[in-house]
Amino acid sequence: MSDSPSLSSLYPCGRLARRNFIHQIGGGFLGLALGGVWAEAGEIQDAIFGPHHVPKAKSVIFLFMCGGVSHIDTFDPKDNKWAGKLIDAIGFGDNLAEMKRPVIPCLRTFQRHGQSGIPVSDWFPHVGSVIDDIAVVRSMWCHEGNHFPAVVETQTGHRGRAFDHPTFGSWVSYALGSANRNLPTFVNLGRPSSPVQLTGGYLGASVAATPFQPGDTPIPNLYPPQGGSPAERERQMERLHRMNQQFRERHAENTDIQARAKAYELAARMQLSAPEAVDFSGEPAHVQALYGIDQKETEEFGRQLLLARRLAERGVRYIQICHAGGGNGAWDSHGDMKSHGPLCRATDKPIAGLIRDLKQRGMLDETLVVWTSEFGRTPWSQNTTGRDHNPKGYTSWLAGGGIRGGMVHGGTDEVGYKAVDSPHYYSDLHATILHQLGLDHRKMEVQSLARTFKLVEDGSPIREIIG
Amino acid sequence: MNPSRLKLDLRNAGALWLMLMALVAAGVTGRVDAATRTNAPLWSIQPVVRPALPEGPELHPIDRFLGAEMRKRKVQAAGPTDRATLLRRVHLDLTGLPPTPAEQEAFASDPSPEAYGKVVDRLLADEQHAVRYARHWLDVLRYADADERMTAAPGIHLWRDWVIGALHEDVPYDQFVQVQLTGVRANERTQMSATGFRSRREPRPGDLFAMGFLARGTGEHPQDLAINAVDTISTAFMGMTVGCAKCHDHMYDPISERNYYEMKALFDPLVLRKITLAGAADLLAAGKVQLEVARRRAPHERALNEFVAPFRAKLYEDRVQMLPPEIQSVIRKAEKSRTVAEQKIADDYYPILRIDDDKLTESMPEEARKQYRELQRQLNAAGSGVGPVPALPVFYTVEVDRVKEQDKHYILTSGDPLRPELTHEVKPGWPFGPAEPDFRDGHIEAFVDWLTAPGNPLFARVAVNRLWQWHFGEGFQKLSSDFGNSGGRPTHPELLDWLASEFVRVGFSMKAMHRLMVTSEAYQRSSEAGPELAASRELDPEGETLWRFRLRRLEAEPIWDGIRAAVGDLDLKVGGASFDPTSGKGAKRRGAYIVRGYSASREVTPNFLQSFDVDDGRAPCPLRTRTVTAPQALFLMNSPDVDRASRQWADRLRAESKDDLVGAVERAYRQSLARPPSPGEREEALSLLAGDASRLDRLTWLLFNLDEFLYVR
Repeated sequence: MSDSPSLSSLYPCGRLARRNFIHQIGGGFLGLALGGVWAEAGEIQDAIFGPHHVPKAKSVIFLFMCGGVSHIDTFDPKDNKWAGKLIDAIGFGDNLAEMKRPVIPCLRTFQRHGQSGIPVSDWFPHVGSVIDDIAVVRSMWCHEGNHFPAVVETQTGHRGRAFDHPTFGSWVSYALGSANRNLPTFVNLGRPSSPVQLTGGYLGASVAATPFQPGDTPIPNLYPPQGGSPAERERQMERLHRMNQQFRERHAENTDIQARAKAYELAARMQLSAPEAVDFSGEPAHVQALYGIDQKETEEFGRQLLLARRLAERGVRYIQICHAGGGNGAWDSHGDMKSHGPLCRATDKPIAGLIRDLKQRGMLDETLVVWTSEFGRTPWSQNTTGRDHNPKGYTSWLAGGGIRGGMVHGGTDEVGYKAVDSPHYYSDLHATILHQLGLDHRKMEVQSLARTFKLVEDGSPIREIIG
Repeated sequence: MNPSRLKLDLRNAGALWLMLMALVAAGVTGRVDAATRTNAPLWSIQPVVRPALPEGPELHPIDRFLGAEMRKRKVQAAGPTDRATLLRRVHLDLTGLPPTPAEQEAFASDPSPEAYGKVVDRLLADEQHAVRYARHWLDVLRYADADERMTAAPGIHLWRDWVIGALHEDVPYDQFVQVQLTGVRANERTQMSATGFRSRREPRPGDLFAMGFLARGTGEHPQDLAINAVDTISTAFMGMTVGCAKCHDHMYDPISERNYYEMKALFDPLVLRKITLAGAADLLAAGKVQLEVARRRAPHERALNEFVAPFRAKLYEDRVQMLPPEIQSVIRKAEKSRTVAEQKIADDYYPILRIDDDKLTESMPEEARKQYRELQRQLNAAGSGVGPVPALPVFYTVEVDRVKEQDKHYILTSGDPLRPELTHEVKPGWPFGPAEPDFRDGHIEAFVDWLTAPGNPLFARVAVNRLWQWHFGEGFQKLSSDFGNSGGRPTHPELLDWLASEFVRVGFSMKAMHRLMVTSEAYQRSSEAGPELAASRELDPEGETLWRFRLRRLEAEPIWDGIRAAVGDLDLKVGGASFDPTSGKGAKRRGAYIVRGYSASREVTPNFLQSFDVDDGRAPCPLRTRTVTAPQALFLMNSPDVDRASRQWADRLRAESKDDLVGAVERAYRQSLARPPSPGEREEALSLLAGDASRLDRLTWLLFNLDEFLYVR
């Protein structure tokens, strides 16, 4: 009987409660000695892992382009000498049979930008203008060639859903805890490709993404219904506290009952701080213009990115922004590459605006911006003018948070089909992000259902791009 | 290295393999359970031997076992809880609904010793009990209204309703499982004619819907049905995580990868079949409508096809031209004259040769495009071309495909249906089963006979442990779907075995077991512990010995029902399609019917269920997680649902109490917490109301937000 696990440590459905995790704080007092980024009082109280070394970044703004951006048409230029030729296309996307597919020409023009002279396509001129702050990794790859499995693989770091692995943002949320007791640790903006991108999996609901919705009510049920005055609500909360008193005293040792009081406190605090976070009225017109909020095409994404900056400013650890999600994702340009055009225009200026704004405020050093998709697109088409899915080689880029700007790392082959020069499995991107947050991915393990789960199964930080 | 080669080598070197597994086990967990280290045989597959009742003063057999254990651990039990608390507890447990004020009154005014037993009988006879316990079972059986590529989604609620009906009728547990796995009760498979002719017996009509259990497992790949069947059946009814052996031999339990695929082979021949649920007249009428629509459409379809033919032909030819010559020659052949291999090539190229409407219109000059659109408009005006009009209700069942039954079965590399290992053929079977099963009644039938046999130790143990868990909050075996080595050992092995043998003795009657469990003293104990019980708290802080009743949060559905019950408009109609509360439709029905499930592209399970820990039904859930979070608080504080309900409930109180505010407060407490207010609470409430009945919505809001409203104590 002594070897029977207590229910509090082994949750059903593969889930675990955060408070029950084995604390693996390597250097327990290291946090105290770090100063600087961690200086705010109580900031790392909730930390379960680490910091394992001095962190560079406080928060992550993770830009996820749903559906698969064509690296060939954006950040990984190839000459068109293969255009029109048939090449082997085995095992890609929908193709299961051996077949040859025609390489289609890239219709973009590339211009060298900044001091680094990194070429960026005419679809991302604004991003080009801040390229000296960006490290372009042209040699990402993953296994899965279809959207949903690839989203699962790249966002949870594990293939398949057999074990209910949590999404990456919830690892960060779980590991580092909150830096602002009034806001969630992990926020999602925009519609994801899949609910998997929000899941806390076996780490539990408390570290899952809190989706902020567009509009004035970012969190469901955030505001009291119309009619009651704030003073009256205040009195009601006091009464509630009094009326709960006896019950809470009788069950004082029950941790759930203790947690319930805290949940009401957090709810009340969120009520106060979330509206302030989503209120742009204090943002001057020139800042809003930087994000393209004054233009129709860029308004929606611009608002999300400005909100992301405001959340990062307020200590939200991980802000995930899903662009053009739902279903396969709008970046999924099988039919015609032209459909990338409006998506690039909608995101280009806001992204550049975000990086500029962060830099102006001195926040870029402690805010890691990551731009990626679940996979890239093939050099060839399915006999259309669009491109198929390509998990074998594609581009992600990072900026800020201690990343070296103005550099290109890795590369694909001459058609843009496979990562050949310093290939990086997607886990390397996870390991890099964790490293910048002061975490060693090798020390992040949890026990669940008599197994050891690693958050990052394999891989290591991309040292070359770390400043 | 090629992974399949690696596996092959290790299989041949059995000893090496075992050694490696031990190393992996040790390395992976860093903490090897005692059970894994010793070579002790797995406890849960040992035969159930009915233990003798321990000596003791307790009257109820369950309390004898618990009492003996408590005496051994020197733990002292709490006293019985008060009657109001007990009534609310047993109501919420057995039906998921709070007792009405009238029921509270009746129980309070019946001092006879049989009063409690009568309440239990009344609740067990109530159909709402079946609704409540069906929800428990359906979590374990991974019910969902939607899932990825779940073809069987339309009509799946009929399976849910079958489960409700079966529990209401107290269908014995062995038959409950038999029907869901084979569509018939084991003793009703065949019949004899007067002349001695044996034939298959017609299943009972309603039992068709039990097959939703297997049909629900359909997914992207045809083999998903069998894979899901193994995963769910083994965890739900055997308490064995056979699914772990899909990619490798089980790390802790004596279940090999071969065992897994043998069990999967039982279900491989199953195919999905759609059944239209309509009478002859409806079918004929629908057929007629369809024919009419087709007739109306025909001339327009012809005109449209003729118009696009040249554009289509040109596009098609352009695309064919781009293909390699050897492929072109295949594509240009008439379908009938292609070989099988050539047809495969042609099919593979179909997606890229397919011409979509947008490409078609793009290739047209502006004038032609206008004409094309006009033709299309005319066609649409002639009526919809798909399916019978109006749509008829359907249900998906499964049946054994006699051709597929002849197929061979193989181990799949990493469980991938596309990677069968042709050198590793398996025959139908199952872990812990006989070497040569008797397949005369069919493959699944043979398994079901073994599974549901009274002598199968896993079957009864796993089931009574679940029933116990639902009444007491935790099973003896805490991981109630894992009776293997990594699931730990049960807290009260003898009581578990006694209950398992009792379950068999009462003919697998679940209601008899419910009655037995909730009439124990342990069930009626207080959840509170005064200072006089400090020693018990010290000795057994987790309450493993059940020295006091476990306080626990209600699940999402009873919270929902409790809100509607207070308002007084809860719709108790049993069964029917699931509803989405955010749509407003059906929002007064019980929470058990709230839609749940998963879709990659949209949110299926409503925010309310998600925030109160309801799973999406993608995997069997043996016990819900119970979190306490801010979104739950926000729902109760601010949601339009609770706001509306607070005001509606206040209206009810005003209507029932007129101007009697003391009476209104009394009613409010009884309608939500099933008890009268204490003098202090009455005073607090009356001071809040300040003589003004219009302030009652403030009181109702407070009651919804009280901890006590959300907890069973």
